[in-house]
Amino acid sequence: MGLEYRAVGWNRQKKLYDLTLAAAVAVYLAAFVGVGLALKPNATAETLLIRAFGTAAFALLHVILSIGPLCRLSPRFLPLLYNRRHLGVTMFFLGLAHAALSIVQFHLFGDVNPLVSVFTSNAHYGDVADFPFQPLGLAALVVLFLMAATSHDFWLHNLTAPTWKALHMGVYVAYGLLVMHVALGALQAERSPLYVVLVGAGLAWVLGLHLYAAGREAARDRAGVGPAAGEEVGDGFVDVCAVDEIPDARARVVCAAGERVAIYRYGGRLAAVSSVCQHQNGPLGEGRVIDGCITCPWHGYQYVPETGESPPPFTERVPTFPVRVRDGRVQLDPRPRPAGRPAGSCSVKGAP
Amino acid sequence: MKPSDEFYVGYQPHAPAATGRFARNVAVALLALGAAAAAALSAGQRAFAPATFEFGAERDFVGVVEVDPYPTLLVKRPGEGSGWSRYLLVAFGKHGADELVGDRAGQAVRLRGALIHQDDRTMIEVAAGSVEPVVLEALANAADLPGEETLGVFTLRGEIVDSKCHLGVMNPGVRKTHRACATLCIQGGVPPILLARDADGREARLLLVDAAGGAVNDRVLDLVADQVEITGEVRRLDDLLVLRADPETYRRLE
Repeated sequence: MGLEYRAVGWNRQKKLYDLTLAAAVAVYLAAFVGVGLALKPNATAETLLIRAFGTAAFALLHVILSIGPLCRLSPRFLPLLYNRRHLGVTMFFLGLAHAALSIVQFHLFGDVNPLVSVFTSNAHYGDVADFPFQPLGLAALVVLFLMAATSHDFWLHNLTAPTWKALHMGVYVAYGLLVMHVALGALQAERSPLYVVLVGAGLAWVLGLHLYAAGREAARDRAGVGPAAGEEVGDGFVDVCAVDEIPDARARVVCAAGERVAIYRYGGRLAAVSSVCQHQNGPLGEGRVIDGCITCPWHGYQYVPETGESPPPFTERVPTFPVRVRDGRVQLDPRPRPAGRPAGSCSVKGAP
Repeated sequence: MKPSDEFYVGYQPHAPAATGRFARNVAVALLALGAAAAAALSAGQRAFAPATFEFGAERDFVGVVEVDPYPTLLVKRPGEGSGWSRYLLVAFGKHGADELVGDRAGQAVRLRGALIHQDDRTMIEVAAGSVEPVVLEALANAADLPGEETLGVFTLRGEIVDSKCHLGVMNPGVRKTHRACATLCIQGGVPPILLARDADGREARLLLVDAAGGAVNDRVLDLVADQVEITGEVRRLDDLLVLRADPETYRRLE
């Protein structure tokens, strides 16, 4: 969390993260170019670099796309998510290096503007097998640029989390474009089945992982509703679960009225807030109460349980919901309280 | 504390023990996987042709310029009766050498340039402004100049490539991934050649000209990097094979 916008709010774990990332990129590029020079003596340095940057970017994109669903499956992957934006920006720069070298190599020093040439030098747009692959890669780079350029919290705050999140879903558009870019380019040019196998395995992994995580999530949503399955118990409240089913400092997430609500238990009290963090729409209900504040598992954004507001001087706010205890069972009013009129909390013993 | 009881907060100085250990293991696994993938992907690349561009290593050449259908330089080999070598000429970037030597047809010149070569085929990238006329004694006997020999009509299959990249400026300078560049090069005046392959994979390079022996650059752009079948008259111009056929008769193979 921060009050001022800085290029990077460095901390120890971000430094470790970025050092590891830099080492991984360096090792990848060195291995690709080194093996190429050793085994392919006729290869030119520029060709090896173009391929090293391109494959590194594509491989890194698979890692980026895997982190979200892996974190849904196990919180142990959360350290990978914490600084995922730096992976995305790094991936963009690898793709940019690949594109810049390719455009210099294949499109510069001719009679046509290089950027125009990307779109016109192969005009077989009506042919599936011959379809130009370079415009697909450039389109993906534009999407990745938009995401890299708006990756900072400044843009997240000014665009609002839902708009920012929707924009950054463009990573799936970029991935689709890049799969086509690779399938219509490198896969057609190479002979080794290794490339087809790896691209196919990568696609299957990304799709399979997302589907599996989504299935688990849907099942969890269903299980999150109490035995009475949202049955109305009067005054607009629905039954959720027994008080003892919520561990201390943690939450029970219920899907009520189409929205995920996190009912937190802390120090003998209960409070309900939206399970969607205002920062990046993280799963607030999977967080913890730390220092009296609900803490998001993604980036540690914090909210006071009774008010849904970040502690001063921070200004984030999530909707709150009335919650009460009757006969040892937690009941929730799934209608969010208007801003400025927080729902407050109640005792686990049923008293207000 | 069990991993499931731990709670990771990125801005705290240290990750919980088990979570930190797991993250380190994942990072090490990704590093190893990345290095292995990079090595495998690099090793799996298709073989690169033994093609060379002596970039930055310019040298002098003395010979006779011919410009039809494409600029070439005829250089007398050392020794009496040892014949002539024919070098295709191109300019910097994706351009033919017409502007550099177009007004020197039939003249003896000295020029500077860098060699581009693959197997027995050699080309010179001519340095701009380096072409100057000279007196060449060998020209005193014009009968020394090589003649053209007709080898017959053949049907050949292969790929249309730009001679400059294919011979060494780019490696690989063939197939779809190089189509854009090859198209620009041929559009810019670089001589197009057919890289013909027979059923046994043997390759031959034939300079493409139309039935009247003229340049075909603008008429083959749509077929560059495709597999094509061409039926035409093959001629040998000293050590250079030429395929005469109108581009309208070229057939793209599906």
